Amino acid sequence: MDTLRIGVVGAGAIAQRNARDTVASGVATIAGVFDINHKAARDMAHDLSAPFFSSYEDMLKSEAVDAVLLSVPHHLHRSMTVQAAEAGKHVLVEKPIANTLSEAEEMIKACNANGVKMTVNYSFRYLPKILKAKQLIEDGALGEITGFQTCIQQYKNRGYWSGASSNSPDNWRASKAKCGGGFLIMTACHNVDYLYYITGLKGTRVYSEYATLGSPAEVEDIISISYRMGERAVGSFSASSIMRGMEQKEERIWGTNGSLLIHPEGLEMYSTRPIDGKRPGKVHKFKKFPNVSWTAEWVKGFVNAVRSDTMPPVSYVDAWENLAFITTAYQSMEERRALTVPEFISTQLESVA
Amino acid sequence: MQFLDFEIAHLEPYEFLSPSNGEVLIKAQFSCISPGTERAVLCGLPGARRDFPYAPGYAVAGRLLAAGKGVGNLKVGDRVAGRMPHADLATVSARHLFKIPHQVTDQEACFIELGIICLQGIRKAGIQPGDVVAVVGQGLIGQLANRLAKMLGAARVVAIAPSHNREKTALLPGGADEFLAFNDDDVSLADVQADIVIEAVGSPDANLTALECAKDKGRVVLLGSTRGLTRNINLAELVQRRELTIVGAHINAMPEHDAGPQRWTYWQEGRLFLDLLANQRLSVADLITWQAAPTECNAVYENLAQGGRGQVGVVFDWRDSNTSKSAA
Repeated sequence: MDTLRIGVVGAGAIAQRNARDTVASGVATIAGVFDINHKAARDMAHDLSAPFFSSYEDMLKSEAVDAVLLSVPHHLHRSMTVQAAEAGKHVLVEKPIANTLSEAEEMIKACNANGVKMTVNYSFRYLPKILKAKQLIEDGALGEITGFQTCIQQYKNRGYWSGASSNSPDNWRASKAKCGGGFLIMTACHNVDYLYYITGLKGTRVYSEYATLGSPAEVEDIISISYRMGERAVGSFSASSIMRGMEQKEERIWGTNGSLLIHPEGLEMYSTRPIDGKRPGKVHKFKKFPNVSWTAEWVKGFVNAVRSDTMPPVSYVDAWENLAFITTAYQSMEERRALTVPEFISTQLESVA
Repeated sequence: MQFLDFEIAHLEPYEFLSPSNGEVLIKAQFSCISPGTERAVLCGLPGARRDFPYAPGYAVAGRLLAAGKGVGNLKVGDRVAGRMPHADLATVSARHLFKIPHQVTDQEACFIELGIICLQGIRKAGIQPGDVVAVVGQGLIGQLANRLAKMLGAARVVAIAPSHNREKTALLPGGADEFLAFNDDDVSLADVQADIVIEAVGSPDANLTALECAKDKGRVVLLGSTRGLTRNINLAELVQRRELTIVGAHINAMPEHDAGPQRWTYWQEGRLFLDLLANQRLSVADLITWQAAPTECNAVYENLAQGGRGQVGVVFDWRDSNTSKSAA
């Protein structure tokens, strides 16, 4: 089977990693590189032995490009996706899908109208420990899910905000207009995605408190969210990029029959049921996981969907729902009240002639 | 099979001893869950606190594999039923084992202890021909009681439970004539007007329900192992004005030797139960709602811990099991 020929858009640090993993997937090749920073793009194209494009329009005109992989600031996702769709190119775009739901909806409509596929880079769900967590939950380890707790704390230094530590320096991450928000929409959106993915539940009501307390930025660097998942489960989400010297990455999901802990070393599970061949009633640790590229897995899933003309595993619905949770959380503090997370209504987006 | 903790059951490898004097080694074929007792331990109900791990079960039918000295007329190869935990193999005292008549299957015979519990209670009820008998609680004990009451000549047996969830087996031939679900149906328990009420739940509330169902001068037999205190009983009203007779009927009060007309021994009741099955005057196989593999025990007890919804007779099938030898 032919590989999918992907034009890489953006030549920043994330773009470089995505391009390497795209090649590693074995199902796609790099058909070219574009960045408004021509030097960075040329260097990257050289490293990848791929053509350099001096404009996005040129790349979209090329018949040697089947799809584009957009690793660009959030505020560009809408216009560049719509352009690609109108040129008949499939789209792989970095998370989040966009900064607002209306932007996201425009992108989805454009892709549907032009018969191209779109996916968003929520590839953390391909982490082997996340897949294992999903399997344990599906096997009944937790029973009915009742509680969630996410604690994601780290430290983003000044170079992160100014772009000084990037090969293509830009301070867009500090801008509310360009980035749409801070640590939640930029980083912790992954955690929201895979909580949905592994539990099958979706956020239904949220209230948040957030602030910018230690960063040279307009966007939040600390946020706390109380939320309802599905009808019954209650969760709390604490994330910040201003915890100095001590990282924290810990998620707990629990239910009527057990508990699951996800942390950097792996998983811990307690269940009243014999799950995965493990004795019930005690804590089991899962530490050994295969070393796979989760981005390559994401690319594989997308290429397969293009070939088989099916919905990509990380679908635009998933991406829209993720953004719905995030933007509703932001809005809740602005309105000083808990808000209902809107539901995705497919007919609004798909009935495009 | 072990309860590892509250609400957690698991099949564990284990060791057993060869039989010494008065003991026999049994290979189980079927074992029957005693829902009240086992649930009480599993859930830590009042008066049933045990240390974990705990080996549940006391009603098994199996084959005698080896015998120590002094086990009477029992011999290797005999089909026997009696007290043994839910286990593939176990060494137990020969004293409480019954030989299974050839007409009786192992599935039926494993109900032995439950049958004895019911028979001693029904005996104390003193049912007369034509009596209206209400059985409060429609778990396994309640449904066995329905059938024994019917057999003894009750004119009408009224099965009483909170919901209809166990109605189907309760109304099978030989069982209750009527099923009242007092939480679902628009019924008044005072209208039941039973001559005899058998309480077969073992909860303080069920005791009160049972008293409500009795007619004046009626007899109320407390067969369930009541966990906790029954409060708000007006003795002046119940005992003096309504002249109710309240009879305790717990298996632990059964005599070993000193029998009387309304007080048979454990041995006598067990023999009778097996005879009733052999003569087809009583059936129990149709009360089995779940014949589970021992490896399913976690799910079986999870259901039981949540109240045993939809289940009446639950038996484990040990015929293909060899957990004692494996070290999973």
